[in-house]
Amino acid sequence: MTDKVNTAFTSEDPWTPVSPKLVTARRITLALAYVLVVAGIVILVVADRVPTWVPVAVAVAAVVVFEWLWWLIGRRVRSFGYSERGDDLLVTSGIMFRRLVIVPYGRMQLVDVKAGPIDRWFGITTVQLHTAAATTDASIPGLLPDVAADLRDRLARRGEQRSAGL
Amino acid sequence: MPASGSPSSIGDDFGLGFQLPGTGTVDEQGRRRVHPITPLVHGASAMPIGIFIVIVMGIGSGAAFGLAGAALFVVAFVVLPVVVAGWSYLVWRNLWYWFDADGDFRVDSGVVTKQERRVQLSRLQSVDVAQPLIARLFSMAELTVEVAGAEGSKLKLQFLTLEDARALRATILARAAGLRHDTTEAPEAAITAVAPRDLAVSLLLRSSTAFLLLLSIAILTVSFLTGGIGGLLVALVTGGIPILMVVSEFIKYFNFTVSESPDGLRLRFGLAKTEARTVPPGRVQAIEYVEPLLWRRQGWVRVRVNIAGMGGQDRQGNKEETLLLPVGTMDVAHAVVARVFPDVDVEALEWRPAPRRSRRRSFIQWSRLAVAWDDTVLAARSGRVTRRVSVIPHARTQSVRLTQGPWERSLQLASMHVDTTPGPVKVSALHLDASFADQVAHEQVTRALHARAADRSTRWAADEPPDDQA
Repeated sequence: MTDKVNTAFTSEDPWTPVSPKLVTARRITLALAYVLVVAGIVILVVADRVPTWVPVAVAVAAVVVFEWLWWLIGRRVRSFGYSERGDDLLVTSGIMFRRLVIVPYGRMQLVDVKAGPIDRWFGITTVQLHTAAATTDASIPGLLPDVAADLRDRLARRGEQRSAGL
Repeated sequence: MPASGSPSSIGDDFGLGFQLPGTGTVDEQGRRRVHPITPLVHGASAMPIGIFIVIVMGIGSGAAFGLAGAALFVVAFVVLPVVVAGWSYLVWRNLWYWFDADGDFRVDSGVVTKQERRVQLSRLQSVDVAQPLIARLFSMAELTVEVAGAEGSKLKLQFLTLEDARALRATILARAAGLRHDTTEAPEAAITAVAPRDLAVSLLLRSSTAFLLLLSIAILTVSFLTGGIGGLLVALVTGGIPILMVVSEFIKYFNFTVSESPDGLRLRFGLAKTEARTVPPGRVQAIEYVEPLLWRRQGWVRVRVNIAGMGGQDRQGNKEETLLLPVGTMDVAHAVVARVFPDVDVEALEWRPAPRRSRRRSFIQWSRLAVAWDDTVLAARSGRVTRRVSVIPHARTQSVRLTQGPWERSLQLASMHVDTTPGPVKVSALHLDASFADQVAHEQVTRALHARAADRSTRWAADEPPDDQA
């Protein structure tokens, strides 16, 4: 796979990017959230309790924020990447707040594959790893279901082979 | 064989050559009852409830005390304790403990519904001796046994004399460890004890306490000068909270004693209820030295610890101890830490500090930010006002993270975190040079891998419970 992952951290092995469908899925979620915002603005207008400039200002701000978030989602999704190495898994993400997690296979306790309703509609899933630490933050969204299942099986197998005590 | 009364010599040793501890009655099969004054202790424990009820009702009814009040008094101080003691007597009559032919610890109990409990010693997690306040007045203690896999269900034996409880605990531990002989309690070598005065002063001088107390004094002064009463109430709250915290921690950690025993580090503490905890060395995940500003003069430091949950306990951490030492000098702290991390010399670590430009990110603590490692552990340093040094052995590394916020990125800095099990200790090396942090993170993963392969310290006892939850 071509290395399209935008990350601050290095890795000798190539990063595997996630599916672009995640972008669409996240943008749809944003649009749905904005339905509420629009409803709020409409209520402000109809109620006619506040001077007219208030809902106008809110609407303008909302549009600006919407555009920015729309663009940001695209960039953020391109920053997700993972890399399966010999003894551990690397997961990277983030544009403003960049993150890299290194999870040794022997420390993996649980591998989850999850998908919310919008993700399911677009046919993508999230793979989440758990170790004994609560702060392990290894979540890979936007994976196609078969890719996710293969990854989970590989991780589970490697995890079992190398499992260490606490 | 006498079925009750004086202890019998034949039924006692099960032909295995040791005595079942206890001064309760013994029956012909060698089963023992707990101490006969147990009903008295339970009855006495019911009295504070009576006092509480009286106070509540008294406040409620005000002046109308008279006959109703006298009746209430009788109920609270006579009827209630007698009823509780009577029930406890029935329980006592039906409570037996012994070791059976297979070597398991058995307890039969139940007045109406009979219950037979069998403790498989190969799955033993912990045995504790504790003295609730009322029991302490009678020199009695209770024994608590926890087994792997049985989530939350503990076996409690109330009450035995303190010596008997300790002896029984030692016997159970010895049998669980595979030694089948008469044994006294695993000998403890005391390492240190925290003097009550030191504990009290240290709690008052903690930064959060001191800050809140100062704040309430300030509010009091302001409200006094301006003549408002709202400030008074606020001051009561901001002043009451730290006082409450100090008092509750003082009660909890009163007479904190650390001793070394073959089972691990043993901690004893408590005013209302003396607790004893054993910390097996293999279960300590990470430790942290904390040195608040106001403790600097005495050279005091606190040692916090992450201890991994044992098999059957839940992740809420309600029984996990978080303190290895509430307060002590640096030497004492090192002595205690050396018992759980034997090959570690924190003073000898070579610190790699954060670069000068980290001053622009964190101008208070930048000069203290550093990371260090040797063959066994990795350590991270931070904090200027409250100094912190956290230490994690390579073998206990869970995952390793690198983070970089926008401010850090503009300065080409990054922070490295070594993840550990839930607990108060976090191992984070902040605002290091970005490529250096990257390098240390990758190296740490390799070190952790080698350390895990070589790690034997989780197998510190002869028997390890089969479901070793990682």
